[in-house]
Amino acid sequence: MSQVTESDERLLIEAAQIDPSRFAELYEKNFHRVYAYIARRVRDRAETQDLTAHVFHQALANLGKFKWKGSPFAAWLYRIASNAIADQAKRKMRESSEQANPSAESSSAVDLEEVERRARLFSAVDTLPEDQRRVIVMRFADEKSIREIADELGRSEGAVKQLQFRGLENLRNRLQEK
Amino acid sequence: MAERSIIDQLDDAVAALAEGRQIDLTKLEPELSALAGVAQGLIGLPHDTFKAELQQQLIRRDSMSSPAEQLETNAVSSVSLYMCIAGASAALDFYRDAFGAKELSRLVEPDGKIGHAEIQIGNIVLMIADEYPDYGVLSPKTIGGSPVRLHLYVPDADAFAERAIKAGATLVRPIQDQFYGDRSGQVADPFGYTWIVATHKKDVPTEEMQKEFDKFTREHSPKKSSEAYSVNEDKMRRENRRAVTPYLTVHKPAELIDFVTEAFGGIEHFRATGSGAGMHAEVSIGDSVVMIGGAEHIEPKPTAIHLYVPDVDQVYERALKAGAKSLMPVVDQPYGERSGGVEDVHGNRWYIATPFVPLQTIAQDLHTVTVYFHPIGAQRFIDFVTNAFGGKELMRHAEGDMVMHAKVQIRDSVIELGEARYPEQPMPTAIYLYVDDVDGVYEQALKAGGVSMLPPTDQPFGDRNAWVQDPFDNVWYIAAPLTATKST
Repeated sequence: MSQVTESDERLLIEAAQIDPSRFAELYEKNFHRVYAYIARRVRDRAETQDLTAHVFHQALANLGKFKWKGSPFAAWLYRIASNAIADQAKRKMRESSEQANPSAESSSAVDLEEVERRARLFSAVDTLPEDQRRVIVMRFADEKSIREIADELGRSEGAVKQLQFRGLENLRNRLQEK
Repeated sequence: MAERSIIDQLDDAVAALAEGRQIDLTKLEPELSALAGVAQGLIGLPHDTFKAELQQQLIRRDSMSSPAEQLETNAVSSVSLYMCIAGASAALDFYRDAFGAKELSRLVEPDGKIGHAEIQIGNIVLMIADEYPDYGVLSPKTIGGSPVRLHLYVPDADAFAERAIKAGATLVRPIQDQFYGDRSGQVADPFGYTWIVATHKKDVPTEEMQKEFDKFTREHSPKKSSEAYSVNEDKMRRENRRAVTPYLTVHKPAELIDFVTEAFGGIEHFRATGSGAGMHAEVSIGDSVVMIGGAEHIEPKPTAIHLYVPDVDQVYERALKAGAKSLMPVVDQPYGERSGGVEDVHGNRWYIATPFVPLQTIAQDLHTVTVYFHPIGAQRFIDFVTNAFGGKELMRHAEGDMVMHAKVQIRDSVIELGEARYPEQPMPTAIYLYVDDVDGVYEQALKAGGVSMLPPTDQPFGDRNAWVQDPFDNVWYIAAPLTATKST
């Protein structure tokens, strides 16, 4: 995730307010942040996806109302996300007789540095060499076992583990670069 | 028990994390701990497809202007391209190398056939599958081209096309600024799809665009399309004539014209009988013009021609029906075309071919008609056309010293040649060659080893020309329209 200076971000937002097709750039820069933020508080993948989609649809629909007050665009998105998660929890509580689990994480105290770090990590996966990227995606996004990946790629389990190792090693190095 | 390698230990940690177990990173070796920490952060990594699909949803929404419109249009789901490709697996590799496509998924049959795959280029997702003829799923190669072109907006069309061409795409139209504000061009992939690659440079008001479009259509209207040849107009004939025009000299030119018309859909524009009772005619085939002439008492000069057509099988059959004999049945060639050969009753040899890539992709250097020379001493022949006419060698395929196949550019035309290897070769021929300066080129041709048959002469039909026989017995009619000669 590239470092966006305040004024760059402001320009991007203003451009998107005039021409909504420019929203793609804001989406690209913030997708992993929002996803990581929601994933931190909602452990279920399907739910994380639903909420992420909801946040960006809301953001796009309300972009015209966004007023630049000096805080980063991501903070606005986090606020939409936080509200969406809370709404979802309330809905669940109404729907089921049992109490929604009011775990510590469902409060708004989310470690934003941790979210930022994971977002950078998610984005860094795209910069891996293709064979490493594919193994990492299959292992962590598709949640496949080493054997399943080996079968699918037609490689030995040893080779897949090796690619996983190199991929994680590269990711660690990339995080340290930033 | 032997110590497990760090690679295995790391996988143990990943497996534990994947099952939702907590692991105490502080208890691990520092190196292992750091990598397991990265793995922990990756748990719950979003799917590429999810990110791409959400972006597409948002973009679709973007393009709607009002909420009401959004509601109405939401009823129609989006259109996604589903491309059928013979050799889908190779195509996935190609799109990765050529377009930087990211593979999102693939379903593979035991025999390696791709049942379904998804790739992402920029923010679009394309679906790809192999051919399934039983289900009527056919690729452009089988159908003979695709009527659908793929249009990509990219940040830098020039760089994008360059990378694609390096990976094996063919340039169909060079990247250039367009009147509608884009900088764009076209490339063809090896699987039969054409891609329009564009970068938006500036917004052009519709009014201005219409003006430019009117200008564009005026400039481009009648030329190029094959129907245009039915307009029998001298000017157009000249415009479509390129520097190198083969002159097919035979005993019975009228019969050859009939053959070319019947077999290749040739259109006769011009026919005259000269003072020596020889006939001269000009016939267009596709985007090219050939000259046909001769008489009973004139020594024939049959020609070998590489003829590019949209459907080689059909044209080959028509040629046989029109009286030609087969030299070689139509087969797929390893060099990227499907071709067959026939010889007409006058001795001309027609190498008929359809490239695997769409036909328009050859337009860059090859046209419907390309003359094929079979000289004895191909290298010396290349030297001659280089020295005499400023020819530029484009490619060659040689076995040892022997030039099996080469292409040489002469002005706006390309000729092909290969060392004479068969009894009927070398097949010397005649070429009508348009130049700017007849006298200068004539001198050069003599210096390069040609023999003068006629010094530069103003002809009554409006050309100044000179005749030179090269050391390989080909005759070159070096010519320029009379008005142009004076102006240079």
